[in-house]
Amino acid sequence: MDMEQTEPTPLEPQTAVSSPATRQPLWLLAALVALTAVIVGLARFTTGPLADRFQTFTTIFLGIFIEAVPFLLAGSVVSGLIEIFIDRDLLARLVPRRAGAAALAGALMGFAFPVCECGVVPVTRRLYHKGLPLSVGVAFLLAAPVVNPIVILSTYAAFGWGPVLIGRVVFSVLIAFIAGLLFNLAAPEEALLPAAQDHHDSDHHHAAGETGKLAEERGGKEKGYGRFWQALAVGGDDFMDMVRYLIVGSLLAAAMQTLVPQSTLLALGSGPIISVVILMVLAFVLSICSTVDAFLALSFVNSFTTGSILSFLVFGPMVDIKSSLMFLGVFRKRTVLYLILLPMALSLLMGVVINSL
Amino acid sequence: MNRLVKTLILFLLGAFLFVRVVDGTVLYYINQRFVLLTWLAAGGFVLVAASYYLVSGRHLHAHDHDHGELTWVGLLIVALPLLLGWLVPPRPLGAAAIGNREINLGSMGSLASVAPPQAGETMGLVAGEKNILDWLNDFQRSSNPADFAGEEAHLIGFVYRDGRFADNTFMVARFTVSCCVADAAPVGLIVQWPDAASLPADQWVDVTGHLAVGTFAGQQIPILVADSITLTEPPAQPYLYL
Repeated sequence: MDMEQTEPTPLEPQTAVSSPATRQPLWLLAALVALTAVIVGLARFTTGPLADRFQTFTTIFLGIFIEAVPFLLAGSVVSGLIEIFIDRDLLARLVPRRAGAAALAGALMGFAFPVCECGVVPVTRRLYHKGLPLSVGVAFLLAAPVVNPIVILSTYAAFGWGPVLIGRVVFSVLIAFIAGLLFNLAAPEEALLPAAQDHHDSDHHHAAGETGKLAEERGGKEKGYGRFWQALAVGGDDFMDMVRYLIVGSLLAAAMQTLVPQSTLLALGSGPIISVVILMVLAFVLSICSTVDAFLALSFVNSFTTGSILSFLVFGPMVDIKSSLMFLGVFRKRTVLYLILLPMALSLLMGVVINSL
Repeated sequence: MNRLVKTLILFLLGAFLFVRVVDGTVLYYINQRFVLLTWLAAGGFVLVAASYYLVSGRHLHAHDHDHGELTWVGLLIVALPLLLGWLVPPRPLGAAAIGNREINLGSMGSLASVAPPQAGETMGLVAGEKNILDWLNDFQRSSNPADFAGEEAHLIGFVYRDGRFADNTFMVARFTVSCCVADAAPVGLIVQWPDAASLPADQWVDVTGHLAVGTFAGQQIPILVADSITLTEPPAQPYLYL
């Protein structure tokens, strides 16, 4: 999967391109036919280990996709509703001005938008588009998959009221807060892709989708059901923008699961540092939705350290294969790198410190 | 064109989810408690696809250039789940997927604590009968494999064997799934059966027998000595839910 080709094209503003339909229809047709032939060949006319692996790979890929896609769709629809119904001035008034307060607000915003790691990406992108400060969005993006009622409830169901639940929420907020603060202090320019940027700063409107721009132009003149349909259509554009990252992420996660034996990871040891590293790698590779990862973490309780389990529960929702790919739909590559490395370093530190207590 | 393709893809995604839910194969992929979400998503896709039609039908001409353009590479990527979903026959995870995972055989006291199994998961078994997971949970609470010797057991699972198995043993295995198959973990009981070697991997079997103390990979664990084995079709709900 060539991300170089797929990543920037749909989101960079494309001025005066001819419709792709007129450019490469044959190429597409050939690729589709080839892809179909490969899939049919592997699925129906191959036997033995290769066919088994392909079947396992397909099942896991579809499993992740089917599990995650409702959340992405929900996040996209929320994004559409924000575009149509939330006034940018209101947002500007609600967001605190001081750096610390802003980062904290971002980290706690998950209570207002209960989304998981798939849904949070389109919502964050739309909020940026509405003028949300970069640092607030970063804190929101990292914290919201944990700091929301649904995930807190599922963690409670798995672990009960105790250090794991409290630690998960507190450290998620803390790490997101620190990351938001750092982004605020560093104030990087050009962190966002043009499509995600606050379009009021430019004379050229770069809405995330044509429908978003449409809504903008019409200035919300639609009433009642019309605005609702508009919100859905904006959400549809957002979904189509983001779903490719989810798909590529799911493909990678499924491939890792099919090719790398889990036992080699789990057998590596239970030392205070290595166990944290192992569960963080596992969280990254598995790419499990934050709404349910607590139940999986439960199965590690006896064989892994408390610090490593907390790292799994804090780091996994912030960053995993599919979410880091989805970040590419919002941020520039360098920013995405920071968004992966910062939580990684902080979660590692947290896990190791907890283990040494 | 762009809009039409998007509408079509959204609609097809909805149709794909809908078909999988209706024919029950969605349970090959996710825990049944998320099936409601799949229903909602299927409906959501159709609504969003419809919104394209409703909005764009009136205002398509209003633009001079398009954003959110779907490129061909993007289109190929988006087509992948549909292609894989429709071209590859749906099958639950089987013996081939075990090779990559840690098997839980319920060695004494080594099992992680798991939430109590929910009602309704014993589909295909007589209500109240213990499945593989229930037995493993029981084993874990005890410290002596002999505690269970002589108890009757009736289990449904698929056949798994590897190099560690003697000719007269196999494992009756299931996967536990808490979210989707990405977190699937195999569980199983070692079954003793004279013709074990003749059972093909992945074959679903219905095993009746009694428990005894046995040795596997140098460990004393409860094993199932089979009295009868019937070949069966995979159950509608192939996974066990934690």
